[in-house]
Amino acid sequence: MVAALEVKDLSTSFRTDDGIVQAVSGVSFRLEPGSTLGVVGESGSGKSVTFLTVMGLVDPRQATVRGSVLLQGEEMLGASQSRMRQIRGRTIGMIFQDPMTSLNPVKTIGWQLQEAVLIHQDVSKKEARKQAIDILKEVEIPRADQRVDDYPHQFSGGMRQRVMIAMALINNPEILIADEPTTALDVTTQAQILRLMKKLQAEHETAIVMITHDLGVVAELADHVIVMYGGKVVEQANVDDLFVKPEMPYTWGLLGSLPRLNATGARLDQIPGQPPSLLNPPSGCPFHPRCEFVMSICRTELPGLDLSTVGNDHRFRCHLDEESRTRIWNQKKAALVNEDAA
Amino acid sequence: MSTANGSGNELLRVEGLQKYFPVTRGLVFQKEVGSVKAVDGVSFSLKAGETLGVVGESGCGKSTMARCIARLLEPTGGTIWFDGRDITHLDRADMRPVRRDMMMVFQDPYASLNPRKRVGAIVGEPLEVHGVGNDEERKRRVQELLEIVGLNPEHYNRFPHEFSGGQRQRIGIARALAINPKLIICDEPVSALDVSVQAQILNLLKDLQDDFGLTYIFIAHDLNVVRHISDRVMVMYLGRAVELGSRDDLYREPKHPYTGALLSAVPIADPEQGRSRKQIILEGDVPSPLNPPAACHFHPRCPRFVDGKCNVDTPELIQHGSHLAACHFPLERWPMSEDEMRRREAPQVGAAD
Repeated sequence: MVAALEVKDLSTSFRTDDGIVQAVSGVSFRLEPGSTLGVVGESGSGKSVTFLTVMGLVDPRQATVRGSVLLQGEEMLGASQSRMRQIRGRTIGMIFQDPMTSLNPVKTIGWQLQEAVLIHQDVSKKEARKQAIDILKEVEIPRADQRVDDYPHQFSGGMRQRVMIAMALINNPEILIADEPTTALDVTTQAQILRLMKKLQAEHETAIVMITHDLGVVAELADHVIVMYGGKVVEQANVDDLFVKPEMPYTWGLLGSLPRLNATGARLDQIPGQPPSLLNPPSGCPFHPRCEFVMSICRTELPGLDLSTVGNDHRFRCHLDEESRTRIWNQKKAALVNEDAA
Repeated sequence: MSTANGSGNELLRVEGLQKYFPVTRGLVFQKEVGSVKAVDGVSFSLKAGETLGVVGESGCGKSTMARCIARLLEPTGGTIWFDGRDITHLDRADMRPVRRDMMMVFQDPYASLNPRKRVGAIVGEPLEVHGVGNDEERKRRVQELLEIVGLNPEHYNRFPHEFSGGQRQRIGIARALAINPKLIICDEPVSALDVSVQAQILNLLKDLQDDFGLTYIFIAHDLNVVRHISDRVMVMYLGRAVELGSRDDLYREPKHPYTGALLSAVPIADPEQGRSRKQIILEGDVPSPLNPPAACHFHPRCPRFVDGKCNVDTPELIQHGSHLAACHFPLERWPMSEDEMRRREAPQVGAAD
């Protein structure tokens, strides 16, 4: 089966006054039709730039891009601007973090939805308006036929994010890229939006890329996960395998530093230090300056994406041997479970 | 704890705190047409060395409450006792010595530090304002503070932009610690930070509490974070406290349906557990505080809503089981699904407690 999206060895670097920033280096992954890929990482891990590159939204005057982006088998890197415009909004829909700044404040919701339809489909204004109302109903906006004439400021935060989802889905795209879609929302609203995304995915068979820093959201929504750090993929796995046996210290740290609902009071397993600067990336493994198990080889050599014994195509970057990794994770897991029992 | 019996080591007591913001119309003759009841009768007490977590969604009044307690906003009604003294209506001059004992840490570490001042001046400012020590002593104290919060004391002369978000939050904490306050009010101190850095700051706050016997009011929207750091937790909804209890009681046996919905809405970082749990997804959004629903503010979204009771009688914050909740029909057990929560038979009015 042709992947909805296949990225091979993608690298993006930016020229800045201070030097070259290697934002993404050697990222590869596959997104199967109708499935959800979770992309986890902290700020500066390269997760957003990866997908801006995929959508052709990095400025070629400042950025150098290498590698390959296959959208349903078609190479996207080097595609013309007019071809990219056809794809964005039609084949790939996008949702951003902040719905207020992504919507035009001086146009009605209906106008903005119709614009998306009229650009990509050869239909009348009347038909476009009908589609706009239908999609608003689908994202569960009450009284859609009236609200379609409202302006963004008349909607609450959660409603605006629903409108963003409606706009992304109005042309029934194959792929939906959601960049931190629930980060700015309250938890009860977040639960509503996640449920809505699951429902729409089931109905439209859309493939979703969920970019987030929240492992909880990933656990809830994703089928497959890639963990990014310092512009590289450091671990990738099926969602269950990743939580059953994460294979490298950064993923352990992420899981350990998460305060959990069913755990109390104990100290969190913190990762010391700060995420690396991509202007002067660390040599060898990007995580080595913060890693508690660092060895001399980690400082000089980037570990390859090795195959784990747990799960199907579960890959990770780490120089630790199988035995040590199993032992350390079992200890960490025991600490988490003990906390749960306390 | 709801009664006003001050125990020996009670540091803060808030009773019936109200903050109404007037809503006006017209440019020249501003006519008052209503008010936003941002905080509407909140009461609690806080012992020295304790941490009170305050959770709620945006617009529930948690930050306004904090600002009233710190007297950055003038309360409309109610009383605030701090360290045995009524500080509700102290004027600026009388308030100054009180401020030494009460500090705030803010959410946005980028906006809460003056970009044109050096770190030394920022952290040392409270010392200067309150006239503590001479220049040399102040400098030594600032360096000591930087070290306490895990920064390099040699960074004394740097500007805020030279630090990352987590380090800036450490600077904010060092500033709050400068004159050994008794109470620190943290308003969403970690919500702008990455997970790994968030863990560092939470651990730091805990260590500081152990070392200096600090008392915290910790405001956050993240229930996991609040559970991690708090001894007691207060849940707010549209300006009112709807549930208040010890952390373990409240998280183990939530009584208010809103607390239950909040708890069940948190994504669980474990796919297996996540799939098997009972989830309650509330419909709609938090209503506007300008025109809140009658009686129990939560009733239009509540699965347990009983017509003729919840929309008529305002529930008091009273003891239900192990702790306090403001609900006519508190949850009998936990976890519960939305369907189990729903009341099937109409109860006799007044029979439920």
